Amino acid sequence: MFGRLLALNWKIFVSNLNKFQLLLLIGYIMFLGIMTVNLVGTAVVVLLLDSEPWMKMQLPWLTPEIYSFLLLVFANTYWLMHFSFTNLRLLNIAENRKLLGFGFPLKKLSKYLMIIGFCHPVNIIYNFTWIVFLMIQVSNFYQVLVGIAAIVFNYVLIYSIKHRFIKIIERRFIAVVAGFLFLIFGLFQAVSLFAENSQQIFYHIIPRVDTLNNFLSWSPGGLLTQTVTEEYGWLNAAIIFGFLCLLIGLIVVDHFHKTCEGLNNPTIKKEEQQTSKLWSFLRKVMGKNAGKYYYYVMIHPYNKLQLLTLAIVPVVYVPLLLQVKYEAAQTILIPTILAGIPVALLAMGMANMYGYENRELLMHLQFPVKLEKQLKERFLGVIILPLMVFYLITIFELLVIPQIVGVFKIFVANTFFFLCFMVLFIWSSYYQYQKATYTSFSYKHPIIPQKVTFVISFAIFTMGYFIFVPIPGLEWYRITIMSVVIVVIAVYLWRHVGFLVNLFKKQILTRLWTE
Amino acid sequence: MSEAISIKGLIKSYDEHIVLKELDLSIPKGSIFGLIGPNGAGKSTLIGVLTGLLSFDDGYIHINEKHFIDENEAEIKRDVASVLQPPLLFEQFTSIEFVEYVCDIYEIEKQGLLEKAYSLMDFFEIKDFAKTKIHKLSSGSRKKLAFVTAVLTEPKILLLDEPFEAVDVISIDRMKTVLRRLKEKGVTMIITSHILEVVENLCDDIAILHQGGIIAYLDSVSRKNLQENSSLHEIFSEYVKVEGKDDVVDWL
Repeated sequence: MFGRLLALNWKIFVSNLNKFQLLLLIGYIMFLGIMTVNLVGTAVVVLLLDSEPWMKMQLPWLTPEIYSFLLLVFANTYWLMHFSFTNLRLLNIAENRKLLGFGFPLKKLSKYLMIIGFCHPVNIIYNFTWIVFLMIQVSNFYQVLVGIAAIVFNYVLIYSIKHRFIKIIERRFIAVVAGFLFLIFGLFQAVSLFAENSQQIFYHIIPRVDTLNNFLSWSPGGLLTQTVTEEYGWLNAAIIFGFLCLLIGLIVVDHFHKTCEGLNNPTIKKEEQQTSKLWSFLRKVMGKNAGKYYYYVMIHPYNKLQLLTLAIVPVVYVPLLLQVKYEAAQTILIPTILAGIPVALLAMGMANMYGYENRELLMHLQFPVKLEKQLKERFLGVIILPLMVFYLITIFELLVIPQIVGVFKIFVANTFFFLCFMVLFIWSSYYQYQKATYTSFSYKHPIIPQKVTFVISFAIFTMGYFIFVPIPGLEWYRITIMSVVIVVIAVYLWRHVGFLVNLFKKQILTRLWTE
Repeated sequence: MSEAISIKGLIKSYDEHIVLKELDLSIPKGSIFGLIGPNGAGKSTLIGVLTGLLSFDDGYIHINEKHFIDENEAEIKRDVASVLQPPLLFEQFTSIEFVEYVCDIYEIEKQGLLEKAYSLMDFFEIKDFAKTKIHKLSSGSRKKLAFVTAVLTEPKILLLDEPFEAVDVISIDRMKTVLRRLKEKGVTMIITSHILEVVENLCDDIAILHQGGIIAYLDSVSRKNLQENSSLHEIFSEYVKVEGKDDVVDWL
């Protein structure tokens, strides 16, 4: 029965992928292979650092204390990575729970799903690396038993914490995401500071390395390392082993009950929501059609995350790049990053314009308002916000980076960038339609199809280099070509908005009816 | 009695498969019209065409004497409301937000609208969910909300595709009460349903749709004559019966 369940879940997973995504899956499997080799390789290199006489010659500062320090830093960094990348999203609970209707016993299903969930390839790779990392350091047999028990305990604990963390994210989404982004970018800043002043920092660290080691050995990675580096005897080992097994058992039982609960109550229970102020605001500002559409875009958790990222990335990168002495960073990278912001906003609203409402659009078609008018309102509504951001960015660039180009040039370049992507998104909305649900958050169920995301990312940087890299002497030719293309696109769209209606009826309507 | 809906030679196909085959149908104004038929007969497709959600390949449709073409689309749609299966609702709105939004689009007088909406919701026992997001409602409550909203838009023609599906018995009785009131006000209604007792009890005229065509039209007079001897259930089975299928389950 377990084999059949595994086969069913594999079929569910594969049937949700199109040919392009299947191709990506092959790439992902290759990536997992490379990741395994890299992780295990790094662990082995760090471990064997001091055993090579040649290394001792090359790195005279590598005293036993510094070596312990490096091992502990590695173990803790690796633990952080393990925590961050432990994957929980392998199973489709909604599909699996249908088996309950066919008489599959709840407890058995819960048990099997839990086992399949625990065996996600990424999770196995991390645990395998832990085993390699710890087992190389083993000097007694009892350390093997305790080390393995500690690895299993560590894993089930991370798994359990993350399960609860997901619920917290759902409840306090913005606070958690903002905190997470702050942490990531804070770390980024800290690393850049460290890289610039490493000698000075090491000078301060070396005298205190013992204190640091003491501290690090009690952090999660350090504790795991201690299970195989300390000598604690068979009796203590038996007690620790027994205690760890008890804890593992308790966590697994708890997780089993949680899975049962999830199978019985699949919907996410959120607090009762009253009338939304955002909806009232958008309705007033943007009208009935565009307002409703924008409301749907804005309340989707994935877009909230996008907005936060769009706000935070330039705040971190632009000041950093402004400090860099290399002029190309200012004249090419900053304009490309900044021109990418309105494009990303446009992508949020336009790359899958009908995916947010899906079948609800049929209701709009029944309204006594011409479809052309409704679509036009949406279309214009979607453009307003990115366009405002676009103008603000243009003004910012003119004020802060005067060396980049002249007023006219930057305006033409940004408009060109914006319009080209608008055409790409129109294509995507009509020919790459896909349903966006509340859970459209992951690789399997994205809001914007992966194909489009790849095209966008690739195009942003390619076009950025084509548009913003100065070409001495030929600048005016480029400006002329871009201006002509802008006029052609604008005139075409203005005169043929009606074609959106026909395209909607042809490409989207039948799919919505049969959805 | 003049016609609210007149259909002539209607053809609708999905790719190669023809669902409606030169369908002719007339529905008198102010009547409750029952459309019954086996699964896949084309009932929902016909409702889809009449609501303007599905295009058709050939034929003519007149609604309230207006030709159903693009130029008249908005005008015609103002007079038509529908409850489809599954009902079309705006999942991220609360029930009351949805009602308000739709009525706003239909330009319904705002004064007194909320009182009307709440009283109708109360009548169908969904008032407690007025401020609940629609995606959290049960299927029965969703159907009732769609029905309430359709009624509040003050339509002249009401198209109901399986309106009693997933609805409890008490609420079905209340729906029938509302439909009878609407009939008194002159509203024309088309109802598709598999609950033949309700159709028999509620509708003036009934048509049986089978394999894309009307195979029987029972107006009030012919129904009276027929029903002296048999129920609608028996009449339906007689028309739609496929010979020889009973043998298939002999092994049971």
